[in-house]
Amino acid sequence: MTILGQLVALYLIFQMGTWFGNWSQLPIPGSVIGMGILLILLMTGIIKLEWISKGASLLLKYMPLFFLPVIAGVMQFYDLFTGNGIWLILIAVVSTWLVLMISALVSQKLMKDKESYLS
Amino acid sequence: MMLVIALFFILLTVAFYICAQLIHRRFTYVLTIPVIPAMIMLVFTLTLSDISYESYMIGGKWIEFWLGPAVVALAVPLYRQWGMLKKYLLPLLLAVLTGTIIGVASGYVFMRMAGFRADLLYAMLPKSVTTPVAVDVANVLDGNPSLAALFVMIAGISGVLLTQLTWKLFRIHHPLSKGIGLGCAAHALGTAKAITDGELEGAASSVAMTLCAVILSLLTPLILLLL
Repeated sequence: MTILGQLVALYLIFQMGTWFGNWSQLPIPGSVIGMGILLILLMTGIIKLEWISKGASLLLKYMPLFFLPVIAGVMQFYDLFTGNGIWLILIAVVSTWLVLMISALVSQKLMKDKESYLS
Repeated sequence: MMLVIALFFILLTVAFYICAQLIHRRFTYVLTIPVIPAMIMLVFTLTLSDISYESYMIGGKWIEFWLGPAVVALAVPLYRQWGMLKKYLLPLLLAVLTGTIIGVASGYVFMRMAGFRADLLYAMLPKSVTTPVAVDVANVLDGNPSLAALFVMIAGISGVLLTQLTWKLFRIHHPLSKGIGLGCAAHALGTAKAITDGELEGAASSVAMTLCAVILSLLTPLILLLL
């Protein structure tokens, strides 16, 4: 498939995910359902990796460009980051730090247990 | 006329992005990852020339259009790393699940303590996952999607900046754990950093980032129910 065809295929899978999300009324993003659909199609061999890998790499490589328009939306919120808004940044940083520390600690503890159990 | 406006804003966005990539190539540093200089250029240009966000989105929506298919494309690295995923399934799942819950819960508690209004609060909850998913989750929760994208970026940058110190303080030396921490806390930015640390770190981080997005999406109905 040409790269354009691969992009169209990925778009159609995204649409399938969105339809399924609307139909099932699940509050799960259609894009994530689409990801699940593609994963199943790859694992069952219905879709071969080569058929879509070029299109997928292209989309993953330029992902930051695709979310620039959403990020530009912060221009509607200038006043928010004056005064009390500083707290928003601080909260995001501290909460991120907790995630970083705890997920790394939990996984290291579990993997050590597993490795000592195996040896 | 609409078509000309749309084309103009599409080209403007792409031009800023390419320019930002050149800047990043010249000054390689976590704060110059292309999305940051590109965002600054874009926001400043729109504000200074008095263009409203709605007008910009006439073109912008055609770029945003690709976010959904890009999330679908994340299935490819997940499929490629399936072997590692199976081998470390339990530690990976438990760590990512804990990380996701800590991220949402701490965000919620801090935002409540500081007394922020609901659309800000719900925009903060999905900050640990990759932008397209965070935006979708924020929409489902009625949080502001643009702010959600901004918080995701703050999480990414601060997560990457805090790694060295955190690994030292808490004696994290397992390469997979470093990858998992970065993927859970700092999504794509963390993964970009993890890849430069090593192949194992990079693989673990991309898997953790994707799992985190999936788990948060699956938890969203529960969050809606609880809050």
